[in-house]
Amino acid sequence: MLELRINGFGGQGSVTLAHLLAQAALENGEQGQALPFFGVERRGAPVRAAVRMSPTAIHAHSQCELPDYVVVMSEKLTAAAVSEGIAENGAVIINAPHAAAVEKRPTWQVDADAIAREAGLFSADGLFINIPLFGAVCRVLNIPQNIMEQTILHKWPGKNGERNLDAAARAYNTVKQISV
Amino acid sequence: MKEARVIMDTGAHAAALAVKSARVDVVPGYPITPQSSIMEAVAAMVENGELDARFIPVEGEHSTLAAAVAAAAAGARVFTATSSNGLLYMHEVLHMAAGGRLPVVMCNVNRGIFAPWTLWADQQDSFAQRDTGWIQYHCSSNQEVFNTILQAFRVAEQINIPVMVNFDGFTISHCLMPLTLPPQEDIDRFLPPHKPEWRLDPAHPSSFSNVTNAAEYAPFRQMLSSDIMASIPLVKQAAQEYKDITGMWDGDTIDAYRLEDAEVVAFAVNSMAAELRLSIDILREQGIKAGLLRLRLYLPFPADDIVSALPQNAQVMVLDRNYNFGHPGGILAAELKSVLFGRRSDITVKNRVMGIGGVDLTRRYMAAEIRAMMDE
Repeated sequence: MLELRINGFGGQGSVTLAHLLAQAALENGEQGQALPFFGVERRGAPVRAAVRMSPTAIHAHSQCELPDYVVVMSEKLTAAAVSEGIAENGAVIINAPHAAAVEKRPTWQVDADAIAREAGLFSADGLFINIPLFGAVCRVLNIPQNIMEQTILHKWPGKNGERNLDAAARAYNTVKQISV
Repeated sequence: MKEARVIMDTGAHAAALAVKSARVDVVPGYPITPQSSIMEAVAAMVENGELDARFIPVEGEHSTLAAAVAAAAAGARVFTATSSNGLLYMHEVLHMAAGGRLPVVMCNVNRGIFAPWTLWADQQDSFAQRDTGWIQYHCSSNQEVFNTILQAFRVAEQINIPVMVNFDGFTISHCLMPLTLPPQEDIDRFLPPHKPEWRLDPAHPSSFSNVTNAAEYAPFRQMLSSDIMASIPLVKQAAQEYKDITGMWDGDTIDAYRLEDAEVVAFAVNSMAAELRLSIDILREQGIKAGLLRLRLYLPFPADDIVSALPQNAQVMVLDRNYNFGHPGGILAAELKSVLFGRRSDITVKNRVMGIGGVDLTRRYMAAEIRAMMDE
């Protein structure tokens, strides 16, 4: 069973990202689970969500205390997110223009803000960075690109889906490992 | 023949989809977190014509269940849902539904009780309704929520007793998981239309729930008591026939995992009992012969099934997500001890309260707790 924790700020779309990843597991022929932690939500407050993927039935219903991957929606959260708990050999995926590697950990970096901005994925409330982050996480987890695309079109059939596809594909192809 | 369909959805939406599949007639509703998303989904289904039912928005939970009682007395198939203090506010009418022998099915999305306020899960709300005369299931997965609502309607309508289907707020209600939806024709075969033996009908006026004398009241109460006990075989039959038709099985009155040769047995309900399977695996890797007995039917308490399922000389670790105020520990431990007394003197029962108000219960934490309890 693969476990991920998404750490972000309220309003960044962590819940949708968790749902997309769980759906991608199903599209990929596995079992998936998205378990957001619901607090008394406020825009801008730190939020988290658990995601699990497994070839067999998932029985876990706790938050991921020692996840294999920590997905950091904003680099301001990196230190706090990692200190919440991570598996011994766990890796970190950070949204940042030029992230510093997390000490002694495999670290991946993607500029989800820039990709979302260039793809026009924003509203008055801010950027939809969860779409490029979804592409980046799929690449890191070796989820095939066509499965990623299928998942987006399942969630957003039609025009919106196509715009999201471009942004997710750019992240899929530009996320890079900055330390091993 | 149509195939089952697998989708990803939350536990709350699994409940709403079961309500649609059960072809419910009337749904009174009042929102409370974390139950609200069930009612929102059902109201949307009624609005867009997917579900041919009457949705009745009311001003509070006491009225929600009063409307449910009235609709059920008129012969309708009725569903509603609530949580926590909403369930407590219904308390008086819970007695009326059971005493009136009305087969309402209600989801209670388990949430801790005020005061102080909490939004997250424990079982104080549902266990506090023990003496209202409702049958109570407790579910540990989204799929089980869907399956159990259908089984609940069948049992309720067979024996004219209301059924409460409980599951945890957030860890189930807002958790997205794969959900298998059997073809509607299979569900219709399992759950035929409701044909009440009796109903209120303005064309044939009759009275209902009049004042009774002791000579009438006592037999009514005695009948309710014995019929609740008589629901156990119906619960088992419903689980078995549901499995025969859909291939899905969540246990009947209980659900066991690695229990046959277990020397240490965890005993719990709801989502923590799902996570406990992983704790059992951890303990087995440490060389401890651990197993799980998950209680699926809390009321009636399935004494015979528990007594015969527990392995010889087992230490039973009851993990209660509730308090039994006035006694040390939790409610499940007290219930379990009462059924073992005089029947299984070989069994040791130990108890801890944990996870109150949604404190996260991880597989590692619960495995460590069980280990610590072994040395007590």
